[in-house]
Amino acid sequence: MRKLLTAFVGSMALAAAPLALSAEATKELKMAYDADPVTLDIHEQLSGGMLQLSHMSFDPLIRWNKDLGFDARLAESWERVDDKTMRFKLREGVKFHSGNELTTKDVKFTYERLKESSDYKAIFAPFTGINVIDDYTFELVTAEPYPLLLNTATYIFPLDSEFYSGETEDGQSKAAISKHGSSFASGNLSGTGPFVVTSRQQGVRMEFERFADYWDEASPGNVKKIVLTPIKENNTRVSALLSGGVDFIAPVPPTDLDRIKRDKDTDLVTMSGTRIIMFHLNQDRVEAFKNPKVRQAVAYAINQEGIAAKIMKGFATPAAQMSPAGYSGHNESLKLRYDVKKAQELMKEAGYEDGFTITMMSPNNRYVNDDKIAQAAAAMLARINITVDLKTLPKAQYWPEFDARSGDMMLIGWHADTEDSANFFEFLTFCPNADTGAGQYNAGNYCNPEVDALVAKANVETDREKRAEMLQEAEQRLYDDAAFIPLHWQDLAWASKKNVKLDPILNVMNLPYLGDLVVE
Amino acid sequence: MMTATVSRWARVRDSFLWYSFKRDKVAIISFIVLLAMVLSAIFAPLLAPTDPYDLALIDIMNSELPPVGMSGADGAFPLGTDAQGRDMLSTILYGTRVSLMIGFGAVILQAVLGILFGLLAGYMGGRVDAILMRIADVQLSFSTLMVAIIVGAVFKASFGSLMFGEIAIYMLIFIIGLAEWPQIARTVRASVLAEKKKEYVDAAKVMGFRTNRIMFRHILPNTLSPIFVIGTVQIANAIISEAALSFLGLGMPETQPSLGSLIKSGFDYIQSGSWWITLLPGLVLVVLVLVINLLGDWLRDVMNPRLYKG
Repeated sequence: MRKLLTAFVGSMALAAAPLALSAEATKELKMAYDADPVTLDIHEQLSGGMLQLSHMSFDPLIRWNKDLGFDARLAESWERVDDKTMRFKLREGVKFHSGNELTTKDVKFTYERLKESSDYKAIFAPFTGINVIDDYTFELVTAEPYPLLLNTATYIFPLDSEFYSGETEDGQSKAAISKHGSSFASGNLSGTGPFVVTSRQQGVRMEFERFADYWDEASPGNVKKIVLTPIKENNTRVSALLSGGVDFIAPVPPTDLDRIKRDKDTDLVTMSGTRIIMFHLNQDRVEAFKNPKVRQAVAYAINQEGIAAKIMKGFATPAAQMSPAGYSGHNESLKLRYDVKKAQELMKEAGYEDGFTITMMSPNNRYVNDDKIAQAAAAMLARINITVDLKTLPKAQYWPEFDARSGDMMLIGWHADTEDSANFFEFLTFCPNADTGAGQYNAGNYCNPEVDALVAKANVETDREKRAEMLQEAEQRLYDDAAFIPLHWQDLAWASKKNVKLDPILNVMNLPYLGDLVVE
Repeated sequence: MMTATVSRWARVRDSFLWYSFKRDKVAIISFIVLLAMVLSAIFAPLLAPTDPYDLALIDIMNSELPPVGMSGADGAFPLGTDAQGRDMLSTILYGTRVSLMIGFGAVILQAVLGILFGLLAGYMGGRVDAILMRIADVQLSFSTLMVAIIVGAVFKASFGSLMFGEIAIYMLIFIIGLAEWPQIARTVRASVLAEKKKEYVDAAKVMGFRTNRIMFRHILPNTLSPIFVIGTVQIANAIISEAALSFLGLGMPETQPSLGSLIKSGFDYIQSGSWWITLLPGLVLVVLVLVINLLGDWLRDVMNPRLYKG
């Protein structure tokens, strides 16, 4: 029977051969992002930039497709064993860049490393363990029935356990995760992904070569070489595309959308996004922010519509909460509350009529127009007598500052990793707890155990309607308390030359699947 | 008192300087333009429709309005607004003031240092001369912009950006002044070397005057004309240096923009329709530097003894 099957598969492979030939990777793609990956260790930081790298040089067990369903990647199939256990079958014959073969021991290694990572451990908190059945079968187990198990599996990019084990010459463990430091993993990489990193000069240029033994032979991708150049200046990045210096750019600044649309040699792809851009008000650094009235005053002083209309050129949806429309936690009744008079009154009631001085920090190459948004917000706060000392930094320097919580107001954008509202709360508003990883990106140090408990309860609620109700209540309570200052959901835009077929590989997560990219 | 001023004015009117100024149309026009710019910069708080430093007056809804005469313009903003909603006219007036202050301030600092070291080196000679001129040589081998970038970055890192905003203007004067003093010092030294061999210096020495008096009261006045010429050119250079530093993000902060930081802030928009944010301050900068340089040229021609006495 097995022989028959092999023969059958073999003949299929032969039949598919002409197709595979036509998809032979020969093309070179020059692309420009606003920034390059800050490290090569995909578990060091949970961010859009790192996930983009993960999808280039690694493969997840499963991944989101355009319709927000799941595509099988390294996991060939999966089935529920009971309401707390999911069994995955691994694809056979998958090779890492180092030549090692992928087995369940690599998945186990990766799972354990994720549990160690300060950025990822909160996402994997519902999981209690991994059961290895054989070389190609394993089970993921959660403590409670967990509705988002598969969503979370999109974050498991198996690492080459052999490559990342042992010690370096100076005696460090190769598996160590070092935040903003230098470790073996932050400078070396071995995954199963379509592209091997061949050279990297941080902040200058990064080169990728297509992996010769890439398992996914059905992929239509025909890009052999990728050169990634970070270009921070919006205008320069767009000019590089229009002049033909690069083939693909992201993000496209809202001011230049028309210019690119008008150009007949380029393609523009836009999507309405789900990434929330917001400010945290740090209560540990500023006494006044402990007062809910002051936080509300700030919330009333910020003109979200103005920012979305003018700075983002309508390329964003103004937000009064974290969950975008369509998410279970999205609460229809929460409205934008821009009202300077009310804000001034609140400051007066709180006893801060004469205002105070704070520091504000924002990246200048992470989110679309991030530094300009921060500048506009600083001007808006001047109306309620809050003087802002604004500092904008490139993201490679911003994240260490963010982790140290070194600004009184800090800008952050967040895309729910699990495509679910609970993820926003867990990372952005939960009481910070280094052990569980909760509130890992809560730079406001806002802490409301009741809301945390509510979200935790929602997380194990399998009745979707009840769950949505709880999450919406959480949004409501944070809104009333002005726990943070939401600004907008940022839309997404990419642009490329006409011969680069972008549309099929893009998605609302802003993770271009470059391995499947076709260049004509 | 009265007679003194009258006679001084009469002296100016009889001078060769005034004579050649009256005959040089370029010099007259340049002077009028420069005077107009300096006056409007000095009186910017009176002339400007709004105070661009007061963030509370800015409304984001007014951002990127075009100058009057184009469709969509608002009469309240004659030259349009920038990306944050600031009135361009007010911002340019205040920006010119900042640029001019830095230009003049830096040159005054340069002149003080340059004249002092130049006189000492030229008059004392020997070891003093050797040491001072080697320091000048070393400093000239660094580019001004590089020195300014390093010092500026250190300042910015150590003071924080709010504090930096308050002292930025003095710091830029300090940086640019410090970086360029050898230019003036060398010119002064060259003139002093020529002057100190002359009879009037010997006469002063014989009369028993002290070195200081000879240096500052006798030799210095005779070396002033090249200092004026080089000083004028240096003002233009200092303004350009400041604009370059601001464009690189190391100069004036966005909240108190100079012409350079204004140009930078509009750079993202230049190809997407809102050209005025960069172009208008750019034009003002070009005109300002141009008239100063034209005046400098004229001054050089007039003050060069070989040209008018020969």
